[in-house]
Amino acid sequence: MFRYVVRRTLESVLLMLGVLVLVFFMVRLTGDPVSLIIPMDAPMAQREAFREMMGLNEPLIVQFGSYMLDAMQGDLGTSLRRRGEANLDIIMVRLPATMQLAFAALAFAVLVAVPLGLAGGMRPGSAIDRVARSVGLAGQTIPSFWLGMLLIVLFAVTLGWLPSFGRDGFSSLILPAVALGFAGMGQLVRLTRSAVLDVRRADYVRTARAKGMQGARVSFRHVLPNVAIPIVSVLGIQFTYLLGGSVYIEVVFAWPGLGSLLESAIRDADFPLVQAITIFISLFAISIHLLTDLLYGVLDPRLRRS
Amino acid sequence: MTRRTLPALILALTALLTLPLLAHAQEGRLVVSLSSDPTSLFLPRAADRTATNASLPLYDSLVWINEDLEIEPALATSWEVSDDGTEYVFTLREGVTFHNGEPFTAESVVATWESGSDPSNDYANFYDAADLVEAIDDYTVRITTPEPNATFLTTLAISWGMVPPAYMAEVGIDEFARNPVGTGPFRFVSRAAGDRILMEANPDYWRSGYPLVAELEFRVVPDASTRLAAVQTGEIHIANRLTPDQAMALANVSGVEVVSYLNDRAYYVGFKNVGAGVGTPLEDARVRQALNYGSDRFGIIAAIFAGQAEPLPGFVIEGNLGYDADLMQPFPFDPERAQQLLAEAGYPDGFEISMGCPADGYVNINEVCLALQRSLAGIGVEVNVEFRTTNSFWSEPQYGAVGAMFVDSWSSTIGEALPRLDGALMPGNYYTAWEDQRFADLIDEIAMTVDRDERAALYQQMHELMRDDPPFIYLYQPTIFEAVSDRVSGYNPRAAEEYYLFQVSLD
Repeated sequence: MFRYVVRRTLESVLLMLGVLVLVFFMVRLTGDPVSLIIPMDAPMAQREAFREMMGLNEPLIVQFGSYMLDAMQGDLGTSLRRRGEANLDIIMVRLPATMQLAFAALAFAVLVAVPLGLAGGMRPGSAIDRVARSVGLAGQTIPSFWLGMLLIVLFAVTLGWLPSFGRDGFSSLILPAVALGFAGMGQLVRLTRSAVLDVRRADYVRTARAKGMQGARVSFRHVLPNVAIPIVSVLGIQFTYLLGGSVYIEVVFAWPGLGSLLESAIRDADFPLVQAITIFISLFAISIHLLTDLLYGVLDPRLRRS
Repeated sequence: MTRRTLPALILALTALLTLPLLAHAQEGRLVVSLSSDPTSLFLPRAADRTATNASLPLYDSLVWINEDLEIEPALATSWEVSDDGTEYVFTLREGVTFHNGEPFTAESVVATWESGSDPSNDYANFYDAADLVEAIDDYTVRITTPEPNATFLTTLAISWGMVPPAYMAEVGIDEFARNPVGTGPFRFVSRAAGDRILMEANPDYWRSGYPLVAELEFRVVPDASTRLAAVQTGEIHIANRLTPDQAMALANVSGVEVVSYLNDRAYYVGFKNVGAGVGTPLEDARVRQALNYGSDRFGIIAAIFAGQAEPLPGFVIEGNLGYDADLMQPFPFDPERAQQLLAEAGYPDGFEISMGCPADGYVNINEVCLALQRSLAGIGVEVNVEFRTTNSFWSEPQYGAVGAMFVDSWSSTIGEALPRLDGALMPGNYYTAWEDQRFADLIDEIAMTVDRDERAALYQQMHELMRDDPPFIYLYQPTIFEAVSDRVSGYNPRAAEEYYLFQVSLD
């Protein structure tokens, strides 16, 4: 187990280094930020003064060196556009909104998907199973930004039940959480259902039944714990996807989180901020994957021994 | 006095006392959407129109441009300009205080200039328009410009939001931007990044009786479809930057009105006579005229903009000083004339040329580039469209990243064509790729002619010159669409999409 933990941790550190290098150079492939920040009719001298002030006149390799050095010390630099603001502070202000949305989306996905998948899997071919399969298919095929627009038109404009945008308490969380969690829910339903289908034929389930144990008890005592393993690993991946992949949903619902921040930073050519957000999300994703793998080891004793 | 009459008397007295107040009571919260989160609420750092609009309610300048585009007194009550046009002496309004209680004096003008011209500001150039700002006494200030500057008062009006000197000195620009203080109709209450900015009416505002609402809230709603939905639900009162399709979808929706106006922005194809343009057929004026006759700007407007744009006559456009609809007609679409001109210039079979296009840089711009390519193929000119990301497109001086022609646009916020003329045609400027001394001389003359009528005549002269010897293919001027709740009155956006909200009321 110890060697497994060390190996996975080292892998994660290497991956993070790769991310740092990639992010720096990819952002710079897109051109000169000064051209987009300084007004088109500004004199040349102002352009150069700004370039120097922001350290953008240094050779690329020097910029890269100081960026790596800073990043290693946890310093993600300051924003080009929101001048005088530290990137990490900007991110931390937006993080709670994104976490809240991601957790809500995940909760929605799990609360709908796991019972539905379990019920469908236990009785394949039944009416409830047909529902589970349809929901699974819908979740995986309907694009989330389109679903978001549709939800706004139906529940905000037509019915007037929920706010169409923004972050104003619980009611404003419902639509974006559903839109964001919908795809993950689809995947989870299918996964749960097929895992249940496998497990219910396992010897220990048959034994439990043979002992005279009843349906629900079998589901919760013997099927669910074994189905949990693949679900947990998928949830880990889902969660990182929800954090990084919520750009569309945050923009559509004007949700003030990291996704909409990233979108505006890219549009504004705010290189340091784009870098900082990408690094932050990557670090988060890599940590979650590491944690998931370790948790996997806890849930599945066979992995610990190998 | 009996017990019964006392309450009645109090009631009557209260009614009597509150009546005059109710006449212009500041009521309600006006909610205005922004298409992006403002980079800063300090005007010199407000990166774009959205950020400027969100900042404007906090500040006032010495002068103001009214709806008829005339310059009016604001924090200055009067001013005098020296005979050589380089010295302005302003008499300041007395009794005005900043939101933090500091009095507004000549020192505030000095502090505004000093903090505004800090090189860390995006718009430091607006403050560099002055050489020197001196307080003569508490309520008299002298501003000196390096040379006569026709648009100095306009620059002053749109960008010099007055800041309190003591507070600015105490906290510095970065902190000031987080907690901005001005003399404006609204004062800053709070901001949630990426979400909202809340302001409240300034009770001591010097324009008595204004503003007309008690609170002003800006909400950041980046997606146009969401703004469209939110104005229908009543969650926001003003939704800007809608597409023509979205505006048309609102035609039958009750409670919402569509506001549309021509944007002061000229879309064009630039020719280069530097870099990649040297040695190309573009050097011949007849070829450039031919390309203007051969470009179907009317077809582009009909097919790509659903008719919601105007063909561009030149760089002086509707709403600009010197514009004359009779004098300034767009080039007709006339392929035969174009081919004749090409033949005269020695290109009877046309030629091949490259044209850079800022991919997704403007609304429908990719389609416009491809439509131009087809249109010019009709006169035998084979255009190779080079799509570039916006960032690389604008990275190089003189559009060095692309070939001999390029598609771009210039806006103007001052009601005159000068900024786009200067930016696109004055040698030495970053984006000037067509260098012609006659243009440069005339632009210089316009910039230094303080008399409006004389300047208008010069603009007409400039138009003639740029039509006979065109440095551009003139394309179109777009229409802006906004949706406004019918509870709102007094909302008057200007041609550069800027608005002043102190006159807006909510019923």
